[in-house]
Amino acid sequence: MIRPLVEARDLAKSYRVGEETVHALRGVSVTLETGEFVAIMGASGSGKSTFMNMVGCLDVPSAGALLVDGVETGAMSSDSLAELRNRTIGFVFQQFNLLARTSALDNVAVPLIYAGVAPAERRERARAKLEAMGLGDRLDHSPAKLSGGQQQRVAIARALVTEPKILLADEPTGALDSATSDEIMRIFQQRNDEGITIVLVTHEADIARYARRRILFRDGRIITDEPVTDRMVAA
Amino acid sequence: MKRTLLGRLDAWAINVGIALTALRTNLMRSILTTLGVMIGVFAVTLAVAVGSGAKVSVMESIDALGSNMAIVFPQPDGEGGRSSFDRGRLTLRDARAIERSIAGVSATGPQLRSSVQLVAASRRASTTAIGATSGYASVAGIGAEVGRFIGEADVRSGARVAVLGPTVARKLFGSFDPVGEAFRIDRVPFTVVGVLEPKGSSFGNDNDNVIIVPITTARARFSNALPGPDDLHLLYVGFEDGTDLERAKREMTRLLRSRYSVAPREVQPFTIRTTAEFIEESSQVTAIFQSVLVAIASISLLVGGIGIMNIMLVSVTERTREIGLRMALGAKRRDIRNQFLVEAAILCVIGGAIGLLLAIAAATAFSVYADFPAEVGAGVGAGAILFSAVTGILFGGYPALRASRLSPIDALRSE
Repeated sequence: MIRPLVEARDLAKSYRVGEETVHALRGVSVTLETGEFVAIMGASGSGKSTFMNMVGCLDVPSAGALLVDGVETGAMSSDSLAELRNRTIGFVFQQFNLLARTSALDNVAVPLIYAGVAPAERRERARAKLEAMGLGDRLDHSPAKLSGGQQQRVAIARALVTEPKILLADEPTGALDSATSDEIMRIFQQRNDEGITIVLVTHEADIARYARRRILFRDGRIITDEPVTDRMVAA
Repeated sequence: MKRTLLGRLDAWAINVGIALTALRTNLMRSILTTLGVMIGVFAVTLAVAVGSGAKVSVMESIDALGSNMAIVFPQPDGEGGRSSFDRGRLTLRDARAIERSIAGVSATGPQLRSSVQLVAASRRASTTAIGATSGYASVAGIGAEVGRFIGEADVRSGARVAVLGPTVARKLFGSFDPVGEAFRIDRVPFTVVGVLEPKGSSFGNDNDNVIIVPITTARARFSNALPGPDDLHLLYVGFEDGTDLERAKREMTRLLRSRYSVAPREVQPFTIRTTAEFIEESSQVTAIFQSVLVAIASISLLVGGIGIMNIMLVSVTERTREIGLRMALGAKRRDIRNQFLVEAAILCVIGGAIGLLLAIAAATAFSVYADFPAEVGAGVGAGAILFSAVTGILFGGYPALRASRLSPIDALRSE
């Protein structure tokens, strides 16, 4: 039996804000299989970010169970979560989150530092990923010398350098124009075709059309979960 | 995931790289912060150097006395009790009695001391004249470098001869050999018979600014304000090697107390100090001196450390997003903690190294220009560097711990 890559059972998350308890997630059950390309949609406050933080092992559930790559995250220590993130998840952020005054190559190599990879191998693997992103001639450029699209490609190279199972992208095109957005989404589709699972968080319906499956959150619950029928394939 | 030794070294090297980038980014702030530690390490290191310099200086001046001797002063000494002696007594006859009846005495050096004005041709000098016997040379461990010392015949006849300290010789006669030359003390003509070996100076006190004349001559020619014709200012008693100084002191005390008929529990009119006591007393004094200096200097290092903590807290706050990112990419708490610890330690070690260099320069200046043997030893230097690293880790510890305890989500969301 093939186990699902992400399995949420009755997932709930609540925070205490002062005297009040905020229920960000109120019982979410869903499975994501290996090789899927899922768009997570919903308004702000719908619980999509909380769900994404949990799939990204940045946060743990208050109730229910979440298995990522077959591991129950609820009882894990912060160090074990860090290892799981490093091994299994690649993050892409809206604001790229590259280290300033640090070359593209060194930026991409950061996750390999925490994976304990030796320096020479780090450089080699980071270079290979940047070349795959078409940035072979920008290895020594700092983020300030790169365009938005180039920065996001560096960030994608960084997310992929540890060969993770899941690419978790939080509004990856939010800071980019539409042509560059299309370029970034094409990269995601190519990686997905190669077999990597992609979880894309977006509030833009157009961007969600690049995915294969669309999950809509509202008030801490999933209200629709359906295949993308009008799929857009990047040029 | 177990990390190999090489992997761990690599992790530290990366942290050093990150730290240097961060410190360069805020160069002015880094320099100002490190200034505090620099001043602190400079002050502490210099305090240690001055303290041990004082120790060396004291030991040198004790050594200059001769290593195995006692000094007897005509000064009342004793705790409590009543005293029939409002002033001290010590006579040449006491010296002879000590020489005769105390075991282990090699020689005695009875002395009279007066301030005198010397004139030779047109040159003048003021100095201390020590009236001494021939025994003084062996007790005090001195001798003539040129010419001869005072002899027994000089003492018997009250000859107007003198042995000059090198400083006096230079002042009166320049670079000429003064042996056989004449000079005057208060119109009384004297002949130079020798020049003393140089003794250098201790505590800025020139040990070579002295002349030695026969004790009989000093008594006859110089005013001394002593109560009797046989009284002394000072008596050096030299002992043979291996003499038990404590026991010799007890015996001398008993002898002199009986000579002055001092009743039990009554204050005696003389004081005896041995070189062993001098060494012990002065090492206690210099140890206290050094501790006080170091304690005061440590306050500036403390202030520097607080500056480090302050700036590291600012740095952690400014870089919260970076911390969140690193955590998302797989950094564990200890990775983040070590990153900031290394940054604080580097700040401190750079400051400490500069402070150490300045302290070495200052100590060298002291010993060259002030003739004070302050020295920063290799151990003190290594200690200063180690101490600055510890300061960094101590004061960087709290900010680093705070950084490592951030929640990755909150950190990523900051700004």
